[in-house]
Amino acid sequence: MNFKHALLTAALLTSAAAHAQLVVGVSWSNFQEERWKTDEAAIKAELAKHGATYVSADAGGSPEKQLADVDGLIAKGAKALIVLAMDKDAIVPALAKAKQRNIPVIAYDRLIEQPGVYYITFDNKEVGRMQARAVFSVKPRGNYVMIKGSPTDPNADFLREGQQEVLDGAVKSGAIKIVGEEYTEGWKPEVAQKNMEQILTRNGNKVDAVVASNDGTAGGVVAALSARGISGVPVSGQDGDQAALNRVALGTQTVSVWKDARDLGREAADAAVDLAGGKPVPGTTKWTGGEHKVPLDAKFLKPVAITRANLETVVKAGWITKDNLCRGVDAAKAPAACK
Amino acid sequence: MESLQLSALDLRLGLMACVLAVMAATFHVLTGNFLTPENLYNIAQQTAVVGIVATAISLVIVARHIDLSIGSVVGFVGVLIAYLQYTAGWHWAWACLAGLAAALLVGAYQGGLTAYLGVPSFVVTLGGLMSFRGAAFLVANGKTQPVTDPVFLWFGGGLDGALGLAGSWALAAVLALALCWRTVQARRAKARHGFPSRPLAADIAFTAALLVLLAAFTSAMCAYQLPGKAGGQGIPAPVVIWGAVVIAVAFIVRRTRFGRYVYAIGGNPEAARLVGIPVRRVTLQLFLLLSVTITIAAIVAVSRLNAGTNSMGTGMELYVIAAAVIGGVSLSGGSGTVLGSVLGALIIQFLDSGLLLLDVGIGQRMIIIGQVLIVAVAFDVLYRRWTGERLA
Repeated sequence: MNFKHALLTAALLTSAAAHAQLVVGVSWSNFQEERWKTDEAAIKAELAKHGATYVSADAGGSPEKQLADVDGLIAKGAKALIVLAMDKDAIVPALAKAKQRNIPVIAYDRLIEQPGVYYITFDNKEVGRMQARAVFSVKPRGNYVMIKGSPTDPNADFLREGQQEVLDGAVKSGAIKIVGEEYTEGWKPEVAQKNMEQILTRNGNKVDAVVASNDGTAGGVVAALSARGISGVPVSGQDGDQAALNRVALGTQTVSVWKDARDLGREAADAAVDLAGGKPVPGTTKWTGGEHKVPLDAKFLKPVAITRANLETVVKAGWITKDNLCRGVDAAKAPAACK
Repeated sequence: MESLQLSALDLRLGLMACVLAVMAATFHVLTGNFLTPENLYNIAQQTAVVGIVATAISLVIVARHIDLSIGSVVGFVGVLIAYLQYTAGWHWAWACLAGLAAALLVGAYQGGLTAYLGVPSFVVTLGGLMSFRGAAFLVANGKTQPVTDPVFLWFGGGLDGALGLAGSWALAAVLALALCWRTVQARRAKARHGFPSRPLAADIAFTAALLVLLAAFTSAMCAYQLPGKAGGQGIPAPVVIWGAVVIAVAFIVRRTRFGRYVYAIGGNPEAARLVGIPVRRVTLQLFLLLSVTITIAAIVAVSRLNAGTNSMGTGMELYVIAAAVIGGVSLSGGSGTVLGSVLGALIIQFLDSGLLLLDVGIGQRMIIIGQVLIVAVAFDVLYRRWTGERLA
């Protein structure tokens, strides 16, 4: 009995040890944003399912610290790295070390344009297209304002490119006139608000539609518009922030393009386990769309455009409670998801 | 100059007012819509949050301390106030009081370490800059917290956040009367104590100029009409709050023992201690005063954005300190005025708004604002050398 018990324990221990050999290191740029916590939880859960261990480091927004973080993760025995780069170029020295030890690196959500890196993200150009499409379908002509993201974030320009693809025809035909375009330092809502106020002043309030690049900046835009009593101007966003989804229910925001961070986390964890085991990742495409046209293995997930019509999607996914979604919504004008 | 009894201080404030006027005129010529009621209304509102904290940081700097954690504490307190309303369902007044309590705790902690342990405030608040940004994140786990209470939203000066026509003119009239009364009182006091007064004409001209400025500002705010609203907006709430803070802090500086102590400590901390000024207590009180203004600024900022976000106030400390420095506060302590901080905050915002109206790109904008800070301080050094004021 005792012997049997000991044997069983030993067997359990060795099998656990065999699995625990796979350590996956995740280097975060900074946790100062609503969504990364969600990503982290998803990665952790998926790795646990594979019996792999999760180790992580948070660079707190400093590219220099992130270099040290990656070294630290390798020292802790990481056999695969998932990196959310604070700075797409400053991270490069850290990758050399990983490459030398044959540790696969996954560029998580933000592009690191280096040979051998596996890039996994939502299709940001598609996000931009979806934003522009949703606004364009409400206001096919008139004065447009483009509130872009942070000038230091390459995604801000991908988004803008996608938006332009959709609007280009209408801009050329003269149906749409872009009367204001500003970057938003650090994606800060209060900066977006100030920029929007100045654009409104410059144009005598003659603004018919706003393509804002995320939900935070959309919040600033909506505050600027409502402070002037302007309503009915379509505004876009992305990220599915709770406050933004509430605005979609209220009708002050048109669309929030939702990238289910749990999908991204899960896929990245799966890819890390596959790559560490030397197996190919299902669904991989070859991609050369970066600044330097470096060919990379990549995987693009498809975002979902959340509008008034499909708000129940986020409730069903457990992303937001119905109470939070429908707070302050007038029952008479409520969208289907709030009834 | 002798006969007018203009101090170097008056001259400096006058010069800054001239700089503002020149900037306004230049931007107006270049853009055609800088000096419109609408843009002035924007600027007044956009400046208020920075301006409110700048009043108190001026005093902190005068006393030879600094606070680098302002932006982070504004974020922390702001998110807390929004969180208590949105997620915890508190009444806004209780949420604001809780925010004030949190800010005072922060002030007592940082001020206590500075005053009683003698840890340099630069280091204490540098740590605070990081810690409280983290705290701002933890309060709501990084989630944006919208606020909707219509009374609370008044503070931010949104659609209904202004005094309206009657209220604005009533306030302006009260201020005008107070201004005249103060001038008369000052003349009487001087006569009673046998000090020579300024020529009557100079006093009248100066007071009249202020009255004209007040009337011009009020009528500009009242001329701003929103589409679909009857009547003009009037003075926006954030500006009223800012004005009240300026008056309160100016009163503390000029009429209380505490105010005189602050300047005495800034002039020479060692001498201040030797003559029996409770340097430590005054330092702690200074940080608590700063906490109060930070809470007020956080309330206005949250209300203005209709939400508390964890990035709120990032980098704000730099604008606040820049406003105080451009406003003539010496970083080596001992000199500076509350009114100067108001003008300093306005100069930065004039520049920012004007450049935005001109559609100048973000990179150029940051370079220009940074260089203006240096020009202002370089000018300050030269000016002090010329007038023989305390040098930095």
